[in-house]
Amino acid sequence: MDPECSRLLPALCAVLVDPRQPVADDTCLEKLLDWFKTVTEAGPSLLLLQENPCLVELLFRVLKAHDPRPRVLSFSLRLAGLFAAQEDCFQYLQVTPSSSVSQQGELLPMLFGESGPLGGAAWTAPTVRSGWLQGLRSLAQHPGALRFLADCGAVDTIFSLQGDSSLFVASAAGQLLVHILALAMRGPAEGHPSPQGCDWPACAQKIVCHVEDSLRSTATLQVTQALNVLTTTFGHCHSPWTQGLWVRLSPLVACLLEKDPIPASHSLVDLLLSVARSPVGSSDCGLWETLAQTLSHLSPTQAGPLALGILKLQDCPQALKTQAFGVLLQPLACVLKAAAQAPGPPGFPEGATGDSITVDTFLSSKSACVGLLCQALAHLELLQLLPQRPSPWPQAPLLRAAVAILRFCHGSAAPTSDVGGHLCAVLAGCVRVQRAALDFLGTLSQGTGSEEGLPGHTQVAPGLPQGPQLLRPGPPHPAVPRRYPWPLQELLPVLRKRLCSPCWEARDSGLEFLTQVTRHWGGQAAFRHALLASEVPELTGQLLRDPESYVRASAVTATGQLSSWGLYATPTGPEHPEVQQESLFTELLHILSTDSEGFPRRAVMHVFTQWLKDGHADVAEDLEQFVARVLQAASQDLDWEVRAQGLELALVFLEQLLGQPGSRCPYAVALPEAAPPATLAQVLQALCRVQLFEFALRALFDCDRPVAQKSCDLLLFLKAKATPCGGPQEAGASPDVVSVEAALQRWQAGEQGQPLGELEPEAVMAVLRSMDLEGLRGMLAKSSDHMEKSPQSLLQDMLATVGVLGENEADCY
Amino acid sequence: MLLSHVVHTAATEVCFPSPLSVLQGEGPRASCGAGAGQDVGRSCILVSIGGKNVMLDCGMHMGFSDDRRFPDFSYITRNGRLTDFLDCVIISHFHLDHCGALPYFSEMVGYDGPIYMTQPTQAICPILLEDYRKIAVDKKGEANFFTSQMIKDCMKKVVAVHLHQTVQVDDELEIKAYYAGHVLGAAMFQIKVGSESVVYTGDYNMTPDRHLGAAWIDKCRPNLLITESTYATTIRDSKRCRERDFLKKVHETVERGGKVLIPVFALGRAQELCILLETFWERMDLKAPIYFSTGLTEKANHYYKLFIPWTNQKIRKTFVQRNMFEFKHIKAFDRAFADSPGPMVVFATPGMLHAGQSLQIFRKWAGSERNMVIMPGYCVQGTVGHKILSGQRKLEMEGRQVLEVKMQVEYMSFSAHADAKGIMQLVGQAEPENVLLVHGEAKKMEFLKQKIEQEFRVSCYMPANGETVTLSTSPSIPVGISLGLLKREMAQGLLPDAKKPRLLHGTLIMKDSNFRLVSSEQALKELGLAEHQLRFTCRVHLHDTRKEQETALRVYSHLKSVLKDHCVQHLPDGSVTVESILIQAAAHSEDPSTKVLLVSWTYQDEELGSYLTSLLKKGLPQAS
Repeated sequence: MDPECSRLLPALCAVLVDPRQPVADDTCLEKLLDWFKTVTEAGPSLLLLQENPCLVELLFRVLKAHDPRPRVLSFSLRLAGLFAAQEDCFQYLQVTPSSSVSQQGELLPMLFGESGPLGGAAWTAPTVRSGWLQGLRSLAQHPGALRFLADCGAVDTIFSLQGDSSLFVASAAGQLLVHILALAMRGPAEGHPSPQGCDWPACAQKIVCHVEDSLRSTATLQVTQALNVLTTTFGHCHSPWTQGLWVRLSPLVACLLEKDPIPASHSLVDLLLSVARSPVGSSDCGLWETLAQTLSHLSPTQAGPLALGILKLQDCPQALKTQAFGVLLQPLACVLKAAAQAPGPPGFPEGATGDSITVDTFLSSKSACVGLLCQALAHLELLQLLPQRPSPWPQAPLLRAAVAILRFCHGSAAPTSDVGGHLCAVLAGCVRVQRAALDFLGTLSQGTGSEEGLPGHTQVAPGLPQGPQLLRPGPPHPAVPRRYPWPLQELLPVLRKRLCSPCWEARDSGLEFLTQVTRHWGGQAAFRHALLASEVPELTGQLLRDPESYVRASAVTATGQLSSWGLYATPTGPEHPEVQQESLFTELLHILSTDSEGFPRRAVMHVFTQWLKDGHADVAEDLEQFVARVLQAASQDLDWEVRAQGLELALVFLEQLLGQPGSRCPYAVALPEAAPPATLAQVLQALCRVQLFEFALRALFDCDRPVAQKSCDLLLFLKAKATPCGGPQEAGASPDVVSVEAALQRWQAGEQGQPLGELEPEAVMAVLRSMDLEGLRGMLAKSSDHMEKSPQSLLQDMLATVGVLGENEADCY
Repeated sequence: MLLSHVVHTAATEVCFPSPLSVLQGEGPRASCGAGAGQDVGRSCILVSIGGKNVMLDCGMHMGFSDDRRFPDFSYITRNGRLTDFLDCVIISHFHLDHCGALPYFSEMVGYDGPIYMTQPTQAICPILLEDYRKIAVDKKGEANFFTSQMIKDCMKKVVAVHLHQTVQVDDELEIKAYYAGHVLGAAMFQIKVGSESVVYTGDYNMTPDRHLGAAWIDKCRPNLLITESTYATTIRDSKRCRERDFLKKVHETVERGGKVLIPVFALGRAQELCILLETFWERMDLKAPIYFSTGLTEKANHYYKLFIPWTNQKIRKTFVQRNMFEFKHIKAFDRAFADSPGPMVVFATPGMLHAGQSLQIFRKWAGSERNMVIMPGYCVQGTVGHKILSGQRKLEMEGRQVLEVKMQVEYMSFSAHADAKGIMQLVGQAEPENVLLVHGEAKKMEFLKQKIEQEFRVSCYMPANGETVTLSTSPSIPVGISLGLLKREMAQGLLPDAKKPRLLHGTLIMKDSNFRLVSSEQALKELGLAEHQLRFTCRVHLHDTRKEQETALRVYSHLKSVLKDHCVQHLPDGSVTVESILIQAAAHSEDPSTKVLLVSWTYQDEELGSYLTSLLKKGLPQAS
């Protein structure tokens, strides 16, 4: 431990045990424990305790206090656990009495045994119970700990804490049981113990018997606790003994399925999936039967997560997968059946015919119907994206079902059956289902089976204008460039309507959608033609002046994207593209310099950087002027992210000038391919002309750390590039260098006012060489914010807070 | 569903105890119930009411910079989807300890359902979240934090609610907002499912201040009132005193030529202090400049102007002549101004002096005794703000340089929470059946709990973090009674008396969430069911050597003499009936000297049937 911390520790311990001193907020105690954890993990705890006797004394004093503060007591329990995690330290705490406190006794039994807080009034505080559990959790790392747990009867207490009124305590108790079980089985019992348990260690035997009793219980809560313990066990422990455990317990689990209703069905599903994922699953054929049985016993809503879990499993029998897929498809099959004009099968694989149980769920209540549909759509959406999704994938009926759902929501379905009528009534205008269906449709359109899917989409458009948030980006997929998942003639009017919506959410989503669509199909003639014929580009341009900053930002991104494809139309028309671009650049630059909010300005910087990267023709026309104007605007910005983005742009520019491999140099457009990259002197002169140095050097002392870091990286990159090439000659202590250094010193002192003025490349390079940029980078990386995180600072703060804690802590933001 | 039930007609109510549970989940991850969140904790409460699950607030803990800053949502559903479990989320106001985890919750954990908040909260919340994000991502290695895009996507899921407007979340769940007066747009929410209801106060203030009015709620008599209890035992000095004190300190510093730095977060406290200074400057005709950094004033003031109906009466009244948020004296700050000589007041972000502009200005001004820094809010441990508030005067900056703080350091709390008196007042206004205290320190809450229980004679709870409280309610379930049944009852007895409950027999039908009490015949008819009769049968052996017909005749005579009030008949086929009870005599297959009496009766005549059987078992009297 740091000597300074060692020096502060006794005073802090004294504060903690003094009931008259207020203790700093919980976060400080938590951070203190974090620190002790790192200290104990890094070195011998025994030495730590011997060198800092105040720590053991603290534990004793807290124990002996008449009315210990729950927070401090909880802290002490956890601290003791951290120390006792090492066996020698554990022995030491078992037997060592305190040096200066009159009371004597074995510390650990006093802390965790029945004579400790367990029997006291403090036990009523959940934080103490939680501390007790966490302390034991840390302590239980070695065989000695197991004996200790048995001797002090801790396991029985943990059993009772499983049903604690505090969720956190109950959960921690369950996890601790699993940890103890794993620890007990780690030693001599490692291997394949018999299911009967005769050769299991006593502690493990006790826990397993408790789990068995709980599984037999008629109280659902107890069954849930047992199932949760087992789920964690099979999820975390993959040793061979878990196989024996499952053989022993699976009959009891199977018994649960025979009950009606099945108790703790959620937890049961979790357990079965956990077992199926563990090594136990691959060796137990009975498990597949149990899973199949569970699928058929659970209600459609309960069975959904299980079915999805089964389909995600790597290796499980095909029959089970088919059954699971059938469960997921049932609700959609019901919808198709209800929407069908003529009788006939919905077209799904066998097993998904729209069974009566699902229909009953639909009919039982509106929320059940909506819940089941949304769940089914979400599960299928998730499944479609997985490599192990069922094959063949029923793309066409799924599309029909999604469209049918949208029609029900939209009110345009003409149902012929009772179920259909009910669905009409329940789903009409239901935004939740509509959104789920549209999301699902979006994912479906990414699927490989797009050919079969397309006809359905023409029916979707009527469903679109229902809610403000419904138009979402996402559907376009590079894999299907020749087809549009949405018919343009229907899409563009809807999009136009969105862009004119009074809801900012609708306008914004519309713009995001437009950006995505343009990114993928900007080069397609049909798309270009349809888009230019619509009012969408003009509307997008108008939204650059939207009152809502989010929308302005999205409009900036959208116009930037449109312009990249030559699709941004202004009143000048497509015959004068140069005027057009100039006007958009000016407009975006104007936004960058004047917009009162960060989002549009940041969006402008992204667009400009992208233009520079892509070699946007009009940017390349006068590259230096472009960069100079953008950097000038960015340097004035109050938002550090804009300034950081400015450095990003500067880096792209620099890389292009230096002919970085892999980057497209806009100069290459103007220069013949074979021409060598510009010489370093030329590059530096160009950098001086665009005032990149002033921008970067100023950023080096920026009050926001990420900007300074980025600038440091940029200058180091430049320095590395310039030095081996033998850049311009040393400028010595020329007047230029002196003035630059003076300016830098002023900036470092926080006076950012004075500009650098005209710079000579030689002077700049001399300054760069003389600066300790590596050192600066190291310092910036050390603490990237001004939050002091060192343990000394924590101890100092906790000590300083004593006596001044007042209302400060009750305040809020 | 068919239920046979007995109902008291006087009130036409059926009482079913229904559980209503509340979970306060503010504890850090790794399952620790860390007290009752008396620091700037994460407000996040889960209420289950009438089968609906509602999450109240979704706050973050500013004191942690790892994943402990957000509530651990895996406690809500272990593996399931949050959207399936939660019916809605309600945000009471824009402070980060109430809404800071929202983008994490909705975009990173994954919640797609509706989020309700008032319009000002909806407008201001993303600004504060963005403000905090910018500070958070500034830190190195900051992972697991939401992005700007996530904040926006999250805000798209928000549904704005108006005050006193009943919003129907779904068929059964409705919510209604009331004015809370804590900050602009702060609201208390009533959540109602059927006849059960819960009121969640969020943070509130019962005394009007310079720009906000007092909290108010109608006598809605909820089953449960969940109230904050930050100042549970404090009877706070008036906010005006604190304001006077603040102005005095600023004025004195400016008068002696010093500079005043007020580190703030973008919105909320900053605007409140701006109003204070603006009016004071005007009244005193002061000339020293007041600056507001980072260009936030315009945006913030825009919102305060936009939401003028949410401010107090005075501001609303004078709004036409003069908009309180049209600041004449407060100008945008430029970095160069910090070096200007002479007095000035600067509001700069962030509020904890741990990064950016406020820290930069602090470093410049800290060395002079003439200057002053006023911290108007909570500071997290580790920040410069926390250090100077705890009295540290030599700060190690950048790990090496030591900054000596000579400037005056002041802490001023302007937070607008109800004190103990205010909380009692609100409980009196709403008249709840139960009270649950949150957002306070255990010891203080204990005092208030006793006071509430004594004064209002209601149960009061104060769960620790992670604890669940379950309440039994007695919801009134209206039951319609068929006219036929009422008429039949009236025909049988006296006229109904409103003061005397009477028993009424019928069949309770629950259909489409409605209850109706009808006659059993009607119930059968409506449900298309055929009536089944349940008969009990019994065999009684009699020693009798005579023929069966004679035995039956003997039984008849015996019963006729014993049961004088009942209709005893001897039917032509030889069997005997008493009401619905049928008795037939048969010969014993093996013993000719024994006769077997087959007795059968319906469920309705169970008493008489049992009596008759026992009578017959005693045997028949000897023939005279």
